[in-house]
Amino acid sequence: MDRRAWQTTVQRVAKSQARLRQLSTHTRTDPKYSEFFLTRLTKIIRHMSLNQQDLDPDSTTDVEDVADAEEELVKKCEEMWKDMEECQNKLSLTGTETLTDSNAQLSLLIMQVKCLTAELSQWQKETPEMIPLNEEILVTLGKEEFQKLRNDLELVLSTIQSNNEKLKEDLEREQKWLDEQQQILESLNVLQNELKQQVVTFSESRIFNELKTKMRDIKEFKEKLLVTLGEFLEDHFPLPDRNVKKKKKNVQESTAQLITLHEMLEILLNRLFGVPHDPYVKISDSFWPPYIELLLRNGIALRHPEDPTRIRLEAFHQ
Amino acid sequence: MSALRPLDKLPGLNTATILLVGTEDALLQQLADSMLKADCTSELKVHLARSLPLPCSVNRPRIDLIVFVVNLHSKLSLQSVEESLCHLDAAFFLGKVAFLATGAGRDSHCSIHRNTVVKLAHTYRSPLLFCDLEIEDFRAAMAQRLVRLLQICAGHVPGVSALNLLSLMRGSENPSLEDL
Repeated sequence: MDRRAWQTTVQRVAKSQARLRQLSTHTRTDPKYSEFFLTRLTKIIRHMSLNQQDLDPDSTTDVEDVADAEEELVKKCEEMWKDMEECQNKLSLTGTETLTDSNAQLSLLIMQVKCLTAELSQWQKETPEMIPLNEEILVTLGKEEFQKLRNDLELVLSTIQSNNEKLKEDLEREQKWLDEQQQILESLNVLQNELKQQVVTFSESRIFNELKTKMRDIKEFKEKLLVTLGEFLEDHFPLPDRNVKKKKKNVQESTAQLITLHEMLEILLNRLFGVPHDPYVKISDSFWPPYIELLLRNGIALRHPEDPTRIRLEAFHQ
Repeated sequence: MSALRPLDKLPGLNTATILLVGTEDALLQQLADSMLKADCTSELKVHLARSLPLPCSVNRPRIDLIVFVVNLHSKLSLQSVEESLCHLDAAFFLGKVAFLATGAGRDSHCSIHRNTVVKLAHTYRSPLLFCDLEIEDFRAAMAQRLVRLLQICAGHVPGVSALNLLSLMRGSENPSLEDL
């Protein structure tokens, strides 16, 4: 089929399509299946003539076949044309009718009922039209179908590919992230080990320092205590020399130089800590007897169980 | 000037034509652009008009769907649409007319109550769509919807007619509308 013949075919098909629309409108319903059908026929004819151009010029039988098939289709279109011509006449007779607000709803509803009933009866009467089962037509249809399928599949393929790429990128990014995290973990581990050792040495020296300061504090405290005790003793237990001398002179001929309570306690303390296995001190004349009595009565000092001339300090620290 | 009739002309091959009627030229133009961008197997033609009737001297294709765009911010747009409705053949209302109300999003700017348009659509037994055409995403979605509607009205979808669709859409209508 040459180009001019093809053009006339297309024109004929277009005309028949237009008439087909008119055909279906005689019930004032829309063209439905048949119009779709005719559009499809047009497409098939177009495909077939395209195929024909691709064909090998030697294979004349194919060309003849295709021409036959096309002839058949065109014939079908011609049949529709005749039907439509009738309907066209009928349609041109119907007049127009406009609506006003007041009558709109009722008349529209009535029209709808009529049209829906007409449509229903048309659907019931109608038998689906078949595309002639010529081999060529089937081949063309199949090709069309395959083409569609191929397009769809290509679309799916490209979508999946892009998806894959995206996933790959994601994976790479995640991998990178993981590596980074591992590196961080490693360096943190190293840091932790270093710190551990540092902590050990550091804590030893710290404890040492702590102890030192504690010791110093305690020493200071002890010093303070001693000073306070000395002051206390000086204030409250002075030497009896001057006041008591006159009274005592007649009672007791004490020639020895008396020592303070402070000094007595010092001697006792030094003995207790210096010679712990034998803490007893011999009572000398320089010890003022009332003070000895004071110490003994208050349980600060103890007399030797066998030798009454010796006393020792009570071991408060034990 | 005669009334516009559906199916008054021969259809073009695989062509669907929509007529947008409204006073908001810029919005109509944007909506038309969005529709032409939409993915569609049929060949789309979009015609714009401020009001009906259309001048009869112009040679135009058969019109498959008419959408009346009402801007809720302007009383003029509603008035113009109401006047235009008188110039349509009754057969158009069998599924080939839709009302589109825009601007409902900004309630404070509205000079027309929503119920007024709902009533109008109900009187003419036609679907009413709401969409803020000024927002691009909404407009694109509405364009997609109108394209599907147009394909059905033009008979490019086998098995479904405009009237068929209309009765389907009626099913989802608010039952309280019957009381209006």
